Amino acid sequence: MRIRSAWRAALAAGAALVMLSACAGAGGSTDTSGGGGRTLEIWHAYAGQKDKVEFIEYALDTFKKAHPDIKVKEVSAEQSSYKTKLQTAMASGNPPDVFYTLPGGYLKAFVDSGQVLGLDDELAKQGWRDSFLESSLPSVTFGGSTYAVPIDIDAALVWYNKALFQAKGWQVPTTWPEFLDLAEKIKSAGVVPVALGNKDSWPATFWFQYAEMRMHGSGVMSGFGAGDKNATFGPEAKDAAGTLQTLAQKGYLPKGANGMSDAEANILFLNGKAAMVLNGTWQIGMSAEAPAGFELGYFPFPTFAAGKGNQSDVLAGVAASFAVSKKAKDKEAALAFLRHITSPEVMTKYVQIRKTMVARKGATTPEAAGPLLAGVVQDVIGKADTLDPFYDTAMAPKTTETYYSTLQGLIDGSITPAAASEAIENAAKAGK
Amino acid sequence: MSISTRSHAARRDARAALLFLAPAVLFLAAFVAYPLLTAGVLSFHSWDGVSPRQWTGLANYERLLGDRIFWGSLRNNVLVALTAIVFQVGVGMVIAYWLVRVVPRIKRFAMFVYVIPVVISEICIGLLWGFVYNPYFGLLNGFLNTVGLDELARGWLGDRSTAMPAVLVVMNLTYLGLYILLFVAAFENVDEAVYDAAAIDGAGHYRTFFSVSVPMVWSNVQATTLLAVVSSFKTFSLVYVLTRGGPNNATDVVSTYLFQAGFGNFEAGYASTIGFAQILLTAAVGVFVLGLMRRGKRGEA
Repeated sequence: MRIRSAWRAALAAGAALVMLSACAGAGGSTDTSGGGGRTLEIWHAYAGQKDKVEFIEYALDTFKKAHPDIKVKEVSAEQSSYKTKLQTAMASGNPPDVFYTLPGGYLKAFVDSGQVLGLDDELAKQGWRDSFLESSLPSVTFGGSTYAVPIDIDAALVWYNKALFQAKGWQVPTTWPEFLDLAEKIKSAGVVPVALGNKDSWPATFWFQYAEMRMHGSGVMSGFGAGDKNATFGPEAKDAAGTLQTLAQKGYLPKGANGMSDAEANILFLNGKAAMVLNGTWQIGMSAEAPAGFELGYFPFPTFAAGKGNQSDVLAGVAASFAVSKKAKDKEAALAFLRHITSPEVMTKYVQIRKTMVARKGATTPEAAGPLLAGVVQDVIGKADTLDPFYDTAMAPKTTETYYSTLQGLIDGSITPAAASEAIENAAKAGK
Repeated sequence: MSISTRSHAARRDARAALLFLAPAVLFLAAFVAYPLLTAGVLSFHSWDGVSPRQWTGLANYERLLGDRIFWGSLRNNVLVALTAIVFQVGVGMVIAYWLVRVVPRIKRFAMFVYVIPVVISEICIGLLWGFVYNPYFGLLNGFLNTVGLDELARGWLGDRSTAMPAVLVVMNLTYLGLYILLFVAAFENVDEAVYDAAAIDGAGHYRTFFSVSVPMVWSNVQATTLLAVVSSFKTFSLVYVLTRGGPNNATDVVSTYLFQAGFGNFEAGYASTIGFAQILLTAAVGVFVLGLMRRGKRGEA
């Protein structure tokens, strides 16, 4: 009897704990009293991602210590639900004071409707603007004014299984024909050349965009975004679409790539069932749980001999940024938080935790970044003339959707490269 | 008792009834009727959810009529409904009959097994099946390779021709248990004497099933068919988890397309239009199915 009631008590306690932790976890909010009358509501989308949670908790804790007079209310959500949540809050006229936002088209919609505080005056003070990498600001700048501070930068490049390459005697390619030859060799060895899991549609965009950047040149989507009437993907878009379709038709992609999540594709890659993957710098983190003996290598996206673009350009963009709502009551506190989260101390901590590049100059130190990321920064990003931001985040939401489904269609052969390039061009024009 | 006191009592009853109904009515008004009306108004607007909405009249409805993705997704909903009627209601009925009349001994255990997918979250089921269908380390291709049918192995969810059938299999297997559960309960309520009479008349299982069991539970058949159809037209989570409506919209159903329009493209107005069309179509199909079955019953009698 006693055991049973003890059980019941334990169960009740467990249930209470679960409920409590559910509140504190994804989608929850935590009040941290600091006394005084100043309050600051901060929203972010880091819930559910361990390393990012560690980063934001560090930033918030140190901020609270530095500003004991400000009462911080943290609201966290998971990436996919966050978008809806913020959208709803904005629409209902109850925006948070400080909010996490994707750069590009997503932020622009809020800016266009006059919901976001311009940061130009503040950025001019104490050289704040100059502390950011120049290439990181365009994606948060609209009509000449900057509306958010960039946090981290993701760059896409080709990652490969070093041990597998060595064992089979495969050479890292530099040109596109070399890449195709290599893919053929890999395929005949019974290994999938390219691990592409395109269920969520963004992974395939890297292939199209890199081919477009090499053949046509960088900056196309930025042109559309800035309202440039002459902006166009050009006739090269058809060839760029063709390169993606070629990969699919020659059997260089996994079977059913469109139905496979990027996590599933990563399992193929880490287990040596696939040899290469074109992915963001977050691949370093995604390779942390690889089986023993796995070694991650990287090389820049191959060059196209007749391409009009700069052959060393890198597909890279701001992954996340923070902005202040125009309706924020305590703007001073909000700006203080933006300054804090982009401070060298917090930014270097982020590099340490996540092995990612940050937008703050000098914060991505080799010690914090580790050898792989430091190498990428030096060998690939350092040699780039331009960093061309991810098309899909720069596009208007509806354009992104067309872009996504068109690339899926290229992979499964239901659309021709000519029709695909036309659809993408039209969608980009319609989406401004 | 005089008439006046009786009507007084009736009035008092009516007042009490209103009092008890009020919370539910208020709740429905606030959380169903009001949003529904708002969505109806919204369906005539263009709105990205942030900037001021613009009145666009019937433009959204015109667009809907010519929207190939919408009609494709509606076609998928119809497929879901048709397979649900056959493989959930129909097969569920047969299995329930078999459990109740043929092998009542294993009924409890079998029902336990069939109901498992019904009580597991659809998200988990979708994720599990995602691994079953994985072309490289999935169970299905693994099985095909083991038995020597290598050429049948494929990327089930990524292949346009197999994606929708693959989703349909998951859906029907998931919800089958619910219908077995409902029909077992219904068949058990049929009076044993009716079966005895059928047995005396020399009816076998086939004859008993069609001439005794099914007509005896016809109102249940109607209700469950309606349930199957309506839930087929609303289905969302399994499709979303398995394929996100892809590849290239091949497995989109109306709900996933609505979600895409509203929360992917930020076209709240158009999403409302899709939602409204969905409600109307679901209601129309429901009425149609009910009418059809009422006639079926009359034919039977």
